[in-house]
Amino acid sequence: MSSHSATLDSTTAWDGGKSPLGVSYGKMMMWFFLVSDALSFGGLLVAYGFMRHKYPEVWPDPSKVFTHFPGTHASVPLAYVGLMTFILIMSSVTMVLAVEAGHRMDKKAVEKWMLLTIIGGAMFVGSQAWEWYNFIVGSHEGAVRTIFEDGQWIEKTIQGANLQYNEYGLPVFADFFFFITGFHGTHVFSGVVINFIIYVNVVKGTYQKRGHYEMVEKVGLYWHFVDLVWVFVFTFFYLL
Amino acid sequence: MEGFNDNFPSYETMAHHSEEEGVAKRKKLWTVFFILSAITIVELIIGFYPSSFSDLALKFIFIGGTLLKAAFIVLSFMHLGEEVKQLRYLVIAPYVIFIIYLSFIALNEGMYSKDIKATMDNNVLNHSMIKGAETAPHQATATEAHH
Repeated sequence: MSSHSATLDSTTAWDGGKSPLGVSYGKMMMWFFLVSDALSFGGLLVAYGFMRHKYPEVWPDPSKVFTHFPGTHASVPLAYVGLMTFILIMSSVTMVLAVEAGHRMDKKAVEKWMLLTIIGGAMFVGSQAWEWYNFIVGSHEGAVRTIFEDGQWIEKTIQGANLQYNEYGLPVFADFFFFITGFHGTHVFSGVVINFIIYVNVVKGTYQKRGHYEMVEKVGLYWHFVDLVWVFVFTFFYLL
Repeated sequence: MEGFNDNFPSYETMAHHSEEEGVAKRKKLWTVFFILSAITIVELIIGFYPSSFSDLALKFIFIGGTLLKAAFIVLSFMHLGEEVKQLRYLVIAPYVIFIIYLSFIALNEGMYSKDIKATMDNNVLNHSMIKGAETAPHQATATEAHH
């Protein structure tokens, strides 16, 4: 990096000695937060793996569950989630381009790329809502399941999934799906909100006045992390 | 840094670079984007025709592709590859060690509890300890297709 050491004043850095990590306090703490958040997601996905290895024979086949695509009634497995993944990777690129523009102190470019990132994030949250809707409503035919109702076990046709019943198979699959994609969706949503706040600051010229766009870089770290988690959710929920 | 007036911390280490350096950096970022997209598309195509691969091969391809994508995102998009070595290892090493340990333990236990469950279900059926145990909800036959 061109000017890392040039701005590091060893007498005032963190009001102590030189930073051993070569980053500012805020960026270091963002990394530590991301590690702890990654552990939360890691724990959830490992718990999912536990259940999947416990019930391999009754585990729903994701390519038979997530087959919807807007504008068609045909069964197209993986297409929609592929689109969602593409949207999120795309918004990750626009974010890193905003960070790059910040390094050049190019205010206009930072504004443009951050706005595109926010739009991409909002599109992703919307797509996820549509995915949930289809999963909750379920297929037209439904499936017969043994459920507990009015104090006894009865056979009943179930459509869609919620936290108690799941048309496609084991209810715990739906529980994990709602919890993990919901937890991730909450992260995306808060990422969009945080990005918007920083975007307003960029437009106001706060960071231009400050002389650097490190706040954009920090929210950028969070945003890439959200993309990173989706890469894993995508693999474990849809591909495997 | 001229005009720098952040209150705390009292300095900043954010890198600045020139227009010319920016061109090269942007080119690199777009390359990473195309690599990520290509891996995803290959995974989707393989996911579309899973029957032509063995289960083990699918696991290797998908998890390998995922880890490759994760490495590109963390090292390139999050700039961890450009940070000092100390920070790099501080972030990556504890996580990797812990998660390898956790997934090994949990997945192993998952398979074990599957065997235990089968044994216990058998015992329950043999001794008729619980009436209707054979129709417990999580035993519902879920493997049949619905479409």
